Amino acid sequence: MDSTLIGTWLAALLTLGIMSFIYKDNLYYKICEAIFIGVSAGYWFITYFWDSLYRIAWIGIVHEGRYVLLGGVILGAMMLTRLFGKIGWIARWPLAFIVGATAGLKMMVYFTTNAMAQIHDTVYDTVTAFGGGDLYNLIGRLVILLGTVTGLVYFYFSKEHKGLFGGVAKVGTWFLMITFGASFGYTVMSRMSLLLGRIDFLLTDWLKLVK
Amino acid sequence: MKKYYYWIILAALIIVLILLPKPLIVSPTVSTIITVLLGLALAGVLVLTLRGHMIGRRTVFLFIGVSLTLPFFMNYRMPIKVSPEVQTLYDAIAKLPPGSKVLAAFDYDPPSAPELQPQAEAFMAFAFKHNLKVIIMGLWPQGPQQADMAVTKVLQEPEIRAKNLRYGVDYVNLGFQSGNEFVIQRMGTSFSGMFPRDIYNTDYDKIPLLNGVENFSNIDFVFNLSSGQPGTVEWVQIAVDRYGVKLGAGNTAVQAPSVYPYLSSRRLTGLAGGMTGAAEFEQATKEIGKANTYILSQSFSHMVVIAFIIIGNAALFVGYRKSKQKGA
Amino acid sequence: MVALLRIAKSVVFISSLLFAISILPTHSVYSQDAGPSSSGLGSITVKAHDTDNDAGGSITVEWDDPGYEKLAGFKGFLILRAVMPSGGKDSVEVAPFGARSYDDRSVSDDNTYSYSVAALVNGEKLMSAPSMQARSSKQWFDSRLTWVLILGLIICGAVIYFIESAKRGTKLFLRRIAGLEAIDEAVGRATEMGRPILFVAGIQDMDDVQTIAGLTILGSIARTVAEYDTKINMPVRASLVMTAARETIKHAYVTAGRPDAYNDDMVHYVTDEQFGFVAAVDGIMVRERPAACFFLGAFFAESLIMAETGNSIGAIQVAGTAMPAQLPFFVAACDYTLIGEELFAASAYLSGEPRQLGSLKGADVGKAIAMIVILVGVIATTIASAWNSESMLWIENLLRQMFSTG
Repeated sequence: MDSTLIGTWLAALLTLGIMSFIYKDNLYYKICEAIFIGVSAGYWFITYFWDSLYRIAWIGIVHEGRYVLLGGVILGAMMLTRLFGKIGWIARWPLAFIVGATAGLKMMVYFTTNAMAQIHDTVYDTVTAFGGGDLYNLIGRLVILLGTVTGLVYFYFSKEHKGLFGGVAKVGTWFLMITFGASFGYTVMSRMSLLLGRIDFLLTDWLKLVK
Repeated sequence: MKKYYYWIILAALIIVLILLPKPLIVSPTVSTIITVLLGLALAGVLVLTLRGHMIGRRTVFLFIGVSLTLPFFMNYRMPIKVSPEVQTLYDAIAKLPPGSKVLAAFDYDPPSAPELQPQAEAFMAFAFKHNLKVIIMGLWPQGPQQADMAVTKVLQEPEIRAKNLRYGVDYVNLGFQSGNEFVIQRMGTSFSGMFPRDIYNTDYDKIPLLNGVENFSNIDFVFNLSSGQPGTVEWVQIAVDRYGVKLGAGNTAVQAPSVYPYLSSRRLTGLAGGMTGAAEFEQATKEIGKANTYILSQSFSHMVVIAFIIIGNAALFVGYRKSKQKGA
Repeated sequence: MVALLRIAKSVVFISSLLFAISILPTHSVYSQDAGPSSSGLGSITVKAHDTDNDAGGSITVEWDDPGYEKLAGFKGFLILRAVMPSGGKDSVEVAPFGARSYDDRSVSDDNTYSYSVAALVNGEKLMSAPSMQARSSKQWFDSRLTWVLILGLIICGAVIYFIESAKRGTKLFLRRIAGLEAIDEAVGRATEMGRPILFVAGIQDMDDVQTIAGLTILGSIARTVAEYDTKINMPVRASLVMTAARETIKHAYVTAGRPDAYNDDMVHYVTDEQFGFVAAVDGIMVRERPAACFFLGAFFAESLIMAETGNSIGAIQVAGTAMPAQLPFFVAACDYTLIGEELFAASAYLSGEPRQLGSLKGADVGKAIAMIVILVGVIATTIASAWNSESMLWIENLLRQMFSTG
């Protein structure tokens, strides 16, 4: 007997249980869902315990002497005070630290990569396309240029969307909707892929109907 | 029909499926007949809708399930054309001379495995066959485990098994490190600072492959497989923009649209997006795997979705017409 | 006009040069000339200096080629490094054809190095004289990002300026967000039908600005809910969000003069697990059948599940998120969606809080700069390429300098 047989059958039954929801909510689905929630909560608890608390905090401080990690441990302990009503305000300090540190790291990163670099490339790629001789590329670049500018106009809140400005904003709305449609299509593909993975498991590993 | 009859039918179906001869592959003629029947069924649904008989959600689910499942039994390979972004990714990896050090960042978990695991396996097989040295790490806890599964599978291939690749010399798995993009930031200065030991608790300094590998400047290429945050976006923002790393990526289809701006600004050297990207990557690297099997089912399901979008819009217009007639 | 532009161009060039010189590292040294080489060509001149704009650990080696690359049998330039004062040479790299510089990133800031370059021709090494000593060091300021600093200061300055203006009472104009009418309509509908409102402020914690925006809009909805005695149900995924939401709703009820109608159970913690949370929200929707559902905050993959369930019970749904991957689902399944920054604009508009208003206006300055730069850049660069106009070339160079990030 294959040693993975029990695991395969268990996984298959759980998969079918979750899928039974598409017909109707039922007890079988509820049991599978509860198992999933319980196992995932337990898994993440163990992962965080061993990877963060033990491997970094305990080994780092006690065995490697990296006492700077104590700062992180203290901040983490302060976060737990939110469970207690009277001293719950203490939890705002580590939260402020996280918000500040993340903002400090991300502000210039996003500004450089997502703003300045994109502006640079929007301008120079469009101009390069003019002299490139590839009509397909030129049209694509002009569409990107138009979409970028009109999208920015749509999200400009300091002026009423009236007249020419409103017209340009309307074009921006169209670009946004077309983008959402494309993104939705990509997501449908992604969800189908996830379902495919499960169906492949059922047919290949469980029922062995296909190789 | 009494409720327990459904359970009996389901159990009987499962028993029949278990007892059927395996593998169950139908001939191209039967495949074509099945495809035609599916098309006729959809046409029938459209006609019913135009006549005012709306179908329920469960019918849609049934069609999707059938369109995804039946192609598994069809002996038919879809022709796949490699798109420019996947070709760019492949070219960048193929250009690396033997002995080049590639950092493979596995930033995904099992739910994204259908899309990304085929890419991982194709990449690892290609890297091993072309004598690239692979350093594996992950910003997601299950990433290095997925990498391990890919490596284990790929090492079973006869051509790769004959090379007698050694852990620590030809490839190494540094494991997971928490900290998200701060990890990438720190790796710019020191890999050993973030990964003092590998996944088997061997010290960084004792691993032969990592001799002389201090930071990104000692890496020839970074290949990132990502399904969310932290992922490709963070790698571009920090590793590429700050440290000048050459980065190629494989993403899930959900994430791919948000990464395309980096591709068009050439911060990203190639992108394999979703299942299609995985199939194309397998074609480009000639490591045909699961993605090429799945792509037929994917295509069938997409056709069914398009058909139901048309049917849904037809239902909408029928509804408008009815309400106009009532109003008149 | 052209003359003025020329003067401005010269001023910019001279000041850039002076600025560059002022921040150049001082370890820039040149080699001594060697005697004539055996091939009859001149000697290779080698310069080694600390690599600019880095965090240390790198020396840039530059050399010229008196003609070795054109010789038959030329294989490349071998770069040799000696740690001073011991002087033992070891080879670092063979530079490819056409290369004239190499960044040696395997040096230590504690050592001083000297470099030689040898042309490899027909198996012979034709050595240059060693360069004078160089040492790597880190630079505190990356001069390539000067314009990033300047533009960052402009935009941050604009944000601070508008925040201070708002605090002083200056009325800052914000265009009306169409989604706000949908919010009022949804609340009104729930009140008429006597059914509750469901509010979900995203699945992230209070450190996410989208959650804060969602809670600000909650404040506005809670005022209407308190006045008309409509029930509100708010499941949350994070306990800090629960605390903040309870304070917000309680304050609304107290302001409406109905503190007795408030109940802590209106806001309840469910679970931290993402899909466990959405399963609970779906259960609430299916059982309680709210007339209006609000999804305002940060969402991930569970967004479509919630929106579809709300759609299936016939509730009016208003959503708002700045997560680009989730917007398509909300747009498809909800009656109205606040797209991206509209969520923050709605929050600023309803609250009138100076920090939110000022931030939005400051961000508008950034958008205006981006729009103008893109349009001016494309026009100027196109004219410069087509007609070689000097003024347009100057603008093109300036924009390239400003927005090139490395």
